[in-house]
Parts: sequence; C-alpha cells; structure tokens
Amino acid sequence: MKKLHFIYSMTLAFDNPVRQHRFTLKCVPLSSERQQILDLSTSVYPNEFLSSDRDSFGNHCIYGYAQGLYDHFSVTVTGTALTGLSSFETARQVYQLGLFRYQTDMTRPGPCIRAFHDRFSFSEETTALDRALTYMRTLYGTFHYLPQSTGIETTAEEALVLGNGVCQDYSHILLSLCRMEKIPCRYVVGMMTGEGQSHAWVEICHDGHWIALDPTNNVLPDDQHIKISAGRDCKDCTINQGLFTGQTTQTQTVHVSVTEQQDQS
Amino acid sequence: MEEMDLYRHTDTINELLARYGVKFGIYKNNEFREQLFPFDAIPRIITASEFEYLEKGLKQRVMALNAFIKDIYGDKLILRDKVVPEEFIFASSGYLAQCEGILPPKGVYTHISGIDLVQGKDRQWYILEDNLRVPSGASYPMIARNLCRRSSPLTFQQNHIEDNRNYAELLRRTMDHVNTGGHTVILTPGRYNAAYFEHSYLAEMTGAHLVTGSQLVVKNDHLYFIDYSGKLEPVGAVYRRISDEYLDPMTFNRESVIGIPHIYDIYRKGNVALLNAPGNGVADDKGIYYFVPKMIRYYLDEDPILQNAPTYLPYYKEDMSYVLEHFDHLVLKDVAEAGGYGVVFGSKMTAEEKEHFLCLLKKEPRRFIAQEVIDFLDLDIMDDDKMVPRKADLRAFVLLGDGPMVWKSGLTRFSRNPDSFIVNSSQGGGFKDTWVLSQ
Amino acid sequence: MGIISIENTDRLFWLGRYSERVYTTIRLFSVSYDDMIDTYANSYQDFCSRLDIPNIYQGKEHFIQCYCFDGTNPDSIYSNLMRAYDNGITLREEIGSESLSYIQLAVYEMNKAKLSSAPLIELQRVLDNLLAFWGIADDSIDSENVRNIIKVGKRIERLDLYARLQMSPEELHREVARLSGRLPRTNLKYSAVQLDSLRTLVQQPEINYRDIVFSAEHLIV
Repeated sequence: MKKLHFIYSMTLAFDNPVRQHRFTLKCVPLSSERQQILDLSTSVYPNEFLSSDRDSFGNHCIYGYAQGLYDHFSVTVTGTALTGLSSFETARQVYQLGLFRYQTDMTRPGPCIRAFHDRFSFSEETTALDRALTYMRTLYGTFHYLPQSTGIETTAEEALVLGNGVCQDYSHILLSLCRMEKIPCRYVVGMMTGEGQSHAWVEICHDGHWIALDPTNNVLPDDQHIKISAGRDCKDCTINQGLFTGQTTQTQTVHVSVTEQQDQS
Repeated sequence: MEEMDLYRHTDTINELLARYGVKFGIYKNNEFREQLFPFDAIPRIITASEFEYLEKGLKQRVMALNAFIKDIYGDKLILRDKVVPEEFIFASSGYLAQCEGILPPKGVYTHISGIDLVQGKDRQWYILEDNLRVPSGASYPMIARNLCRRSSPLTFQQNHIEDNRNYAELLRRTMDHVNTGGHTVILTPGRYNAAYFEHSYLAEMTGAHLVTGSQLVVKNDHLYFIDYSGKLEPVGAVYRRISDEYLDPMTFNRESVIGIPHIYDIYRKGNVALLNAPGNGVADDKGIYYFVPKMIRYYLDEDPILQNAPTYLPYYKEDMSYVLEHFDHLVLKDVAEAGGYGVVFGSKMTAEEKEHFLCLLKKEPRRFIAQEVIDFLDLDIMDDDKMVPRKADLRAFVLLGDGPMVWKSGLTRFSRNPDSFIVNSSQGGGFKDTWVLSQ
Repeated sequence: MGIISIENTDRLFWLGRYSERVYTTIRLFSVSYDDMIDTYANSYQDFCSRLDIPNIYQGKEHFIQCYCFDGTNPDSIYSNLMRAYDNGITLREEIGSESLSYIQLAVYEMNKAKLSSAPLIELQRVLDNLLAFWGIADDSIDSENVRNIIKVGKRIERLDLYARLQMSPEELHREVARLSGRLPRTNLKYSAVQLDSLRTLVQQPEINYRDIVFSAEHLIV
C-alpha cells in the first residue's frame, strides 16, 4: 500500500478569448476497492456554473458552462490516494459485461492486428488473464514507445501498422486483441507516480475481477497507479471535452504530479 | 357497409392536401425538393372486432419492447437467461452504451411506436417491423381524414367510423405524462427535414412549441426555451424528431450542430423527458425483431397475440441451412438498412448476384435475416378510373403514457408500382386513410 | 402573450413584409403590363426606376418573364413570394394551417401564371389569396402579438414602397399613423427616435422621400 499525493492540472490557453464555453471533464479519481481518495479538492476556471454526475460507466463527470469571455480554461484536481488496497475491482456479472467484449471504432482489428492475433494459439484451458498477459508481453517487445507519433484519433490498427505510439495506442491494441478472444476488457485513464502526463492502461475481466494491465510498462499496476475513469475506449474517457464560440487557437498544457507521501503517523 | 362515394373524390382530396402543404422533403442530386404524398381515397377498413384483436396484440408487443429496453440498459436478465444472444445487442449500432443505467421519467422508453404490419391473403396479420426511434406518419391520415369528411360527408354519415383526429390529444397526454415540469416542445432538425410538415402540424395540433436546437439551452441543470427577449422558459418534455446521435454533441456525435449541449446530462438526472428515449434502437433493428415473440413470453409470460412474419436467423446453424435450401422462396434483409433499402428477393437474383450474396451471407450471417415471402392481401387503389390492386402495409401507432394506447387508425402506405413490394414514401409510395369501424 | 422565439418573431415580421411586397408589386406590374400591350412597350423602364430596382431587362418579354417569374432574379415577384413562403412554412404552429394554406395557394397560382399567355388572370388569384391570407390571419390567429407582428411587417413594407414610389403625402401620412398605432402592441424592438422622425417627416410641406425610406428601414432594431 502507498499513500500518494496527486495533482492533475490542465490549462487551455486561447489566443483569442472565447465565450459560450460548455465543457465536460472526467479527471476526478474515485474511491474503489483498489484505491481510496482523500482530501479531494477540485477547482475549475471559469466556474460560472458547475454540476457533477456519474456517467453511464460510473465515472465522475464535472460539467458546466461559462457564457462570458475568457482567455483560458483550467482545472486542477488535488488529493491523496491510498493505493494498492486490493489487486482487483469486483466486476458485475459476466452477462452484464457484454459491452466490454465488442470492438469499437477505435479497437476494431484490421489485417495487421489479425495477423498479430493469429501468431498465438491458446489451449482451451488458457485463462483470460494468461492470454492477456501473453499479448501484453509480446506487444511490449514489438511495439515502440514514441511520443507524439500518433494522435487522439489514431486507431489500434493504425498504430500497430506504424509500429510505435503512446500509452493510448498500447492500450487500444491490447483491448483489440483481448476482444478478439471475447475477453471483457476496458480502457482506463489515470495517473502514475512521477511527473508528466495522464496515463492509460487496460483492465480485463478475469474470474469476476477486473485486473489491471499496463501494456506501456509491461506491468500489472499495483500501488503506483491512480485510476480516474474507465470505458470501452479512449472516447468514453475523454478528460476534457468542450464546445465554445470564438475563432481561436488553443494550446493545452497538462501537468500531472504523483508523489509518495511518507506516513507521519 | 353503406354505399360510399368517397373514392370518387381522390382528385379533390389530393388538391386539398396540396393546398395544406402536406408534403415531404427529399434530396435528389443534393437538391432539396418538396413532394406531395399521393393519396388514394379508398380506405383500408378494419372492423371493430379485428381492431380489438390488433389493439391487444400491439399493446402486448409494445409493453414487452419497453420492458426489454429497460432490462438491456439495466440488469440484462434476458442475457443471463440466454433468450437473446448478446451479440445481437452489443454489436448492434442501435445499442448506446451512454444509456446504461439510465431510467427515464416514469420508466417509459417507447412513448411513440410505429409498428408496421401486413395482412396476408389468409387474412392473418403479420408484424413486419417495429419503429421505436422517431417513427413518422401519423399526421398524414389525421389531416386526410379532415379533408375526406369535407369532400364526402355522406360517407361518414352512413358509416360508423372511429374519429382518428384525436391523435394530437393522445400524443399530448403521452407527453404530459412524462413532463418533468415546464413547457412541452417538439424539436425538429429544421425546415429541410423530410418530415418537417409532420413536425409543424403536430406542433399546431398539440399546442406544443416547435423548436430547433438553437432555441433551447441547458442552464442550472434544467432545460429552457429562450424567449424573444432572452427570458428563459422551463421545458419539461422534448418530443425530439432528431436522431440520438445528433441530440447532444457533449455525449454523442461531437460534430452535431442541431443538438443541445448537455441535454443528455440533465436527462440522466431526470430533469427533462425525451420522447422517445435515446437508445431505443437496440430494440427495433431487423435482427432483434426475430426475438420479440420470445421477449413477450419472457417479460410478460404471455403467448404473443400477433405473429412475426416467418423469419430465419442465419446466425443459427439450423436456420442457415433452411435459408440455403429455400433461398429462392425467401426475402433477405440487411439488418442495418431501413426505408425499404437492403431488401432482396432470392427468386429475383441472377446466378451471379446469388453467388455474391451467398458469399456475403456466409461471411456475415448476423447481418441478415430471411423471411418467407408473404402472400399479401392487396388493397385496391384508383388508377385513373380503374380500381387496381396494390401492395400495402399498415403502420399502427401505439402511444405509451399511463398505459398503452393504440390509435384507432394508422398510416396505410401502398406501392404505386404494380410489381413492387416497397411502399416507402421516399420511394414513390402513396397513402390511404385507415378506418376503424366503431361497430 | 404566449412564448415566442426571436426567430419566429423575425419570420412573422418578414412574412408580413414579403406578402405586402408581392401584393403591391403585382398591382403596379398590372398597370405597366396594360401599358405594354399596345401603348408603351418600354413602360417597364419607368417601372424599374420608380421602384428603384436595377433595370437588367432586355425588352418587354424578358421583363415580364424575368421580373415576374424568374426565381434566380432576386428582385422578381416570384422570389419575393418564395421568401414569404419560406418564412410562412416555419410558422405553421404560430399562424395555423388554414392561414398558411393561402400562402401555399398563392405559390401554386404563381406557378400557373408563369405558364400562362395571359398572366394577369392568375396573378389576380395570387392577390386574392394574399388578401384571404391577411383576412384569415387577422380573424383566426389567437395571439394579438402574432397578428400585429405580421401587420407591422406589412405596414413598414408598404411605407417603404410608397415612399420609393413618391406617393402623395396623404397616403404616407395614413401609413405612418397605422404603423404607429400597431407597433407598440407587439414584442418587436423598435427605435422610438425613428418612429418620431417618421411622424415628423410625413408632415413636412416638402416630403423628403429618401429620409422616409431610411427611417422605415431602420425602425425595427
């Protein structure tokens, strides 16, 4: 178990001010079996109107709008997470997980992923977890981490054809492979110890449990990962979605910092 | 049945329909055009006892469909019990994950259903299709009835016909039932939508305001209509005539400019009713159609009163072999298509087309259903001065408010082409009034 | 006053204006048309200059076809009628199917006139339908606001046309009086300054027609 202090901050700078800004944010971690979130503090600017709810995947959403003219938009979330409380989250009944078993536009395999998939033949007894681990290890060995080589619209197939990408691409490819095996699996957005950006990984359902796999680092997340949201692919977990009026160029800066706190007690 | 002279008035009624602008829009070569919807004055007549049977069957079907949608976006017991294979849900474009876990106001999903039926030569009625998203067509028989009565008062004096002009009242009741507090509006994509006449006519008849997305705004977790002065008037029910994907750019299609940002979030909170509920498409595609009789048994523990057209799912091995054996006697439908598209008759294919189709069928069996070709009971229409038989169907409207209500009429569409089975208005079909006799 | 959107307020106003524009220009056209039969073949040139529209016409026949019926000519009667129709069709629930049907009928008659060798007969029916439209709109629309917006549109258009045509001071005076009574009984936002200036302008010994046109065009804000 670890006690992690986290800061998630995101700023959108507009070179021309915008108005009628509507936004939906999914950047607040929730307590679960694996992690407990304490001292949560969230600030959004502008905050003319804010509301919150859970989306259909159970993720925490903040939504709101600002009518006035603003030259930037920002959100900061801070808090403490007790992590590594469990190695899994309990899943719903298998028959209720069907939506995580089917490909989406982001994960749908093409010839490249199919060829990758066909390299493996598992015996009937091979568990979902073992299949997923095999894919993860192989993927880690052949796919290369290369920042800025792909974009948010890059699909699993496109990324694998390129042969390199970022955590989003690793995760989509792993999801695609698992779904070809009819393993329920989901895309996870979160934070990892250190400084930098948000992170993405995968959870697969094995034996009634959601087990996390981080294909970018080839590890099973334990107490260094703080989960924010989950969905079928990155589209369900978009951290910031907005609509506004105005001709502008926007520059996004994200800063994530997760540091271990030494227990004073 | 008394002598009726109504059918002599076809031209007069069509002139009146033109006068009132009873049209639908179509795009041809990227150009918007308005077309009249040809009317034939010989009505479809449904006797009181026959209607009683249809009414029971339609209510039953809609109650089961509503229960199904609630189950699919909730507990999914029908999947646990393997009555419907899960790929027919999750691989269907009609299933929307964003609807998971949402219970709409009063638990109503299928406020307005358009159920398409045909009658066989054996007088047996068959369900052809359920339309649970934004079924259109009720306005046409509504206004046509007015004009028929004007053109031939004697016909309506001498026959005992249920008045169908109460549709607006039924619709109003349905909308009021789920209204969460505030005005009721009809949301149209705009003047260039195919069914714009219907949107504007239903607004006029129900007294609801016809609005476009830009006139509505979400504020403080509630929906408002923006008055001319900028004043906000609360809205409690939206009869939306735009499809799910365009409803809210924050949740569905991000490019949508006709939707209302964040309307879905306040719907999730129960602060506005959307008619019909988003996500209903999971229950009305051609693949799921096969399972509706099973749903009736599963949710209501009743035998289905109305029959499906005999349907085979190539997804099941035994059905696939039946389809391959009897291919020339079947009609095949692509489950993803609508509006009369994606329908082919085994008997009308050339050897080459058949080979190509079979290849596709074996590759993607879930994509198709096969049905026996029903020997339709044709309806007579006036063609110049002659009566000629034509293929026709019936769209029955079932409204679900406090309880289910079946409109005592319906939209009877017919094919004007003697060789065609396709009755869709977008493909040149016409329509008739549908009489339900009161005795 | 029932709730009404800014879009519908605007459309009602323009429905009033375009229906009036079609009505008055058909009446003027009819006079010119009569002249052109055997008296003065070029009378359309005067017509254009009086109405202050560009004379793009290559002769009498071209004028009749193009000014009356050409949908690609923005100044044609047909184009103006279609603008009235486009506004009307989005107002069914405000004005009712019965009122709207007369605009629709005017469009059908216009299409017939286009094919006619004696178009004044069908154009007369266009006028009949516009008159019926105003009559039924006044008679059957419940909302006083909705009725008055249409009328204000109509009055402003007429004032504008009459000023361009340099009609008599009495005519202009009457139009301004009708307009000033009607305008405050709508939700339209208007300029009190322009309304005052119209009242003053029509009482001057020398009528300044340009200023009246200007004030009429800037009355609604």
